[in-house]
Amino acid sequence: MKGKMGIQHWLGFAVILVWCLLPVVWIISLSFKSEAETTSGSPQFLPKEPTLDNYREILKDSDFTHALINSFGISLIATFLSVVLATLAAYAIARLDFRGKKLVLSLALAIAMFPVVSLVGPLFDMWRTVHLFNTWPGLIIPYMSFTLPLAIWTLAAFFREIPWEMEQAAQVDGATSWQAFRKVIVPLAAPGVFTAAILTFFFAWNEFVLAISLTSTTDARTVPAQMSFFVGPDPFNPPYSQLATASVIVTIPVIVIVLLFQRRIVAGLTSGAVKG
Amino acid sequence: MRERAQRRRRRRPAAASLILAAAAASGVLAACSGPASDELVWYINPDTGGQAAIAKRCSTDEYTIKVQELPQAADQQRIQLARRLAAGDPAIDLMSLDPPFTAEFADAGYLADLPEDLVTKLRAQSLKGSVTAATWNGKLVVAPFWTNTQILWYRKSFAKKAGLNMTKPVTWDQIIQAADKNGGRVGVQANKYEGYAIWINALIAGAGGTLLTNAEKGADATITIDSPAGKAAAKVIQTLAHSKAAQPDLSVSQEGQVLAPFQSDRGAFQVNWTFVYGTYAGSPTAKDLGWAMYPRTEADKPARPPLGGIGIGVNSHSEKVGKAMKAVACITSPENQGIYASTDGNMPASAEGYKQPELTKKYPADLLALFQESVNAAAPRPATPYWSDVSSAIQSSWHPPSAVNEGTPAKSQKFIEDVLQGRRLL
Amino acid sequence: MSTDAAAADAVRTADSPAKRPHKSDRAVAENRLGMKLVAPAVILMLLVTAWPMLQALYLSLFRYRLTQPDDREAVGLQNYLTVLGDSLFWKDLWNTVLIMIVTVAVELVIGFAFAMVMHRIVFGRGVMRTSILIPYGIITVVSAFAWQFAFSLNNGFVNAWFSWLPWIDSDTNWFGDHWHSMFAIMASEIWKTTPFMSLLLLAGLAQVSEDMIEAAKVDGATWWQRLWKVILPNMRSAIMVAVLFRALDAFRIFDNIYVMTRGAQDTESMSFLTYRQVIEQFQLGMGSALSVLLFLMVLILATLIVKLFRVNLAQARGEG
Repeated sequence: MKGKMGIQHWLGFAVILVWCLLPVVWIISLSFKSEAETTSGSPQFLPKEPTLDNYREILKDSDFTHALINSFGISLIATFLSVVLATLAAYAIARLDFRGKKLVLSLALAIAMFPVVSLVGPLFDMWRTVHLFNTWPGLIIPYMSFTLPLAIWTLAAFFREIPWEMEQAAQVDGATSWQAFRKVIVPLAAPGVFTAAILTFFFAWNEFVLAISLTSTTDARTVPAQMSFFVGPDPFNPPYSQLATASVIVTIPVIVIVLLFQRRIVAGLTSGAVKG
Repeated sequence: MRERAQRRRRRRPAAASLILAAAAASGVLAACSGPASDELVWYINPDTGGQAAIAKRCSTDEYTIKVQELPQAADQQRIQLARRLAAGDPAIDLMSLDPPFTAEFADAGYLADLPEDLVTKLRAQSLKGSVTAATWNGKLVVAPFWTNTQILWYRKSFAKKAGLNMTKPVTWDQIIQAADKNGGRVGVQANKYEGYAIWINALIAGAGGTLLTNAEKGADATITIDSPAGKAAAKVIQTLAHSKAAQPDLSVSQEGQVLAPFQSDRGAFQVNWTFVYGTYAGSPTAKDLGWAMYPRTEADKPARPPLGGIGIGVNSHSEKVGKAMKAVACITSPENQGIYASTDGNMPASAEGYKQPELTKKYPADLLALFQESVNAAAPRPATPYWSDVSSAIQSSWHPPSAVNEGTPAKSQKFIEDVLQGRRLL
Repeated sequence: MSTDAAAADAVRTADSPAKRPHKSDRAVAENRLGMKLVAPAVILMLLVTAWPMLQALYLSLFRYRLTQPDDREAVGLQNYLTVLGDSLFWKDLWNTVLIMIVTVAVELVIGFAFAMVMHRIVFGRGVMRTSILIPYGIITVVSAFAWQFAFSLNNGFVNAWFSWLPWIDSDTNWFGDHWHSMFAIMASEIWKTTPFMSLLLLAGLAQVSEDMIEAAKVDGATWWQRLWKVILPNMRSAIMVAVLFRALDAFRIFDNIYVMTRGAQDTESMSFLTYRQVIEQFQLGMGSALSVLLFLMVLILATLIVKLFRVNLAQARGEG
């Protein structure tokens, strides 16, 4: 069937691109509109007089830059720890026989479906008592729990495909078991770990419910939460263009990751079901 | 499968270690230090920088005041603060509090007692309306800093075209009719938010009614919204919502959304806070901008304009209550009130503040006089620890404005009672 | 490697202890090591879910308001009765179910169309994959803002671009009434999650054998017949997995509503209602009762979908 690309596919191609990118282009365009323009109403798609003021303003806004640091820090730490724990668990699930394996997988699945909102109340109460409210660990711990299922399932799927016999083969060839692990298994497992890390990072970067419920200042507030409280220079008008600018800035890491690792993400999302 | 494995092998594992390194590096940033002992942390509502400037001016050798900004919406400010105060968090020293939540915070014991001499001074300097807004159970619990009120802003050219005499008190009916007949619009706050409850409270008070009485009984307060005054208020909202004078985005309109339409060809009236004058300063609208007392709900009863503003409270769990009280005295001095009003458009809580030269230079004398008259005539929202429930309950039974009718006050009364008794979800 | 194979694989590894005879020391050691390796992950997952859930169960039996801690009193099941007897609860449940059904159905159709195009397209695959992953990766809050602004009266392009449609004019207030607001919320939700759907469906499409389609073609089946008789039945498992995950995800909708309407115009979802009770009104008792109910509903929903479509859980993967 390859090579038979009809007009309908060209059309489909164009529709998909417009569908996916139009809102992104719109928010970028909005970020170049001046505050005066949005305050007086600016329904046209492109800015009348493009300006970089919003970017200058927002990077000076210490609340926003704090939130950006929080977002990066919390997401990266949660991703790192979650992937480490998930790697251990996924290795056991893919390689070892032990009681309760099915239970662990079912538990992970159940937690992936858990309604996060039903936890905010008790978590808020608990975090208040143990002084984790409005701290980095206060978000990192729940983020880890909710990304673990994703990471475990993704990694287990990857690990099952690794030809573990090669490790023994290398040992037979005279490598120590550490060498065999490092030279043979790590390179095979790394892409899987990496994919799990990307998906985990996306989750933590995107998370909103816990971020607004378990933080109250810029000490721990992440970008999505900060954006929902965003106040522009005019306290009585929603700062459309500044919110758009903040949106563009938090989307940049997403776009960079997507550009660099699109194949990995697709493979991870569909659990190795897509060829390529 | 073999093919896939090979393809994977070509991937560089280096990228993974990059993330790990970044994670480790950012771990360092996670270590946060608490506030220094000579630092007072003041949680402020967002403004255009005036409170930060006051913080700088009021900092002394003994302590520096650092500001932390709260979210924009009043109910969000309450949530952010109450959650931390309930946790006994000492990292808050001073707070800029919106009047409706003062009672709740005071009742829950979150606020430190103001010292006797400061109370005496504040009572002496503050406007009557400002004191009312800062009082719970007969006690002054926060220091009035600035006091807001709404007046009727109008386009002089439009009032002339419509033949409306603006030197006499006008009623809601009059301005809605005038706008409706002459292609103008009346800007109000009718989004589902605190501002809508403010409007409803003002309308009811303007008809001689109240939302509730016996507020000190807490959840057992007597709800009085189902009254002739409540019906009169519903009538005004109903009339506006179904007339051509309503903005098309009436049901989501807040203070900011009414500013731009007012400048357009159809701009006619808006009820809004004192900051409006500063917003239009320098724009073509400025010359055409007129102001008058808040509209009357009923022709024979005086208008009871909305009252807002900020009182400064001190966290009872603060470890620096003594220093914080000194800071309160400085922040709320008439001089700082006047400067703040001139820079941010938020009017003083004291007559002395209104006399500050910075302010009188910038604002017309008759406007400043109107603001003070409006504050003293204003009807504050009832002081009750349950205000947020009452307000939310009003918002859900009166929103959207186009659905308001004669039966709304009765429905709303039942709903508020049920909510306060825990019989209904809010 | 196919999803079916993955499923089979998952079942095999899960069942293998029973199949392999093992009583040796090695097996005991392996068992112990396995448990040790999964322990940290399991403990952490339980710490943040099971423990708070138990706490919610306990708190739901009290009338307890954060700002009035002294008035805390045990009320038994009263909170549950109040919630279940309240019209707001049913209204919000209906909204949630409606959003779930409409968005998943629309996503399924559009996602399938996208998957068909992506499956057939010869070049520009990288460009397409990148663009389709952007909505997937973008923060939901950002998506909500983008669409809120697009629909905004003074600053949006939707009214200007679509005013030729009879039911849209330049004054259409998209957040002014229930159905318009719901439409805007669903638009944002659908835009963001269709790519995920289409990728899962693309994976399913890749397993449908071209030979079978060709054979059907030779037998004179129309395009429509081929779609319904050959392609879709062979993608059943991929479709079911996609529906399961998207449905449960849509049932928990929160971010879009929070940003776009804050629940005004009766657009609240179950998640939003629970959030408001607990976090905004400090009603820890009533809110906990709602939390428990929400948890039960998700559980029932998941069981229903699994039973109804006979999805093999082992193949369903942990997408959030």
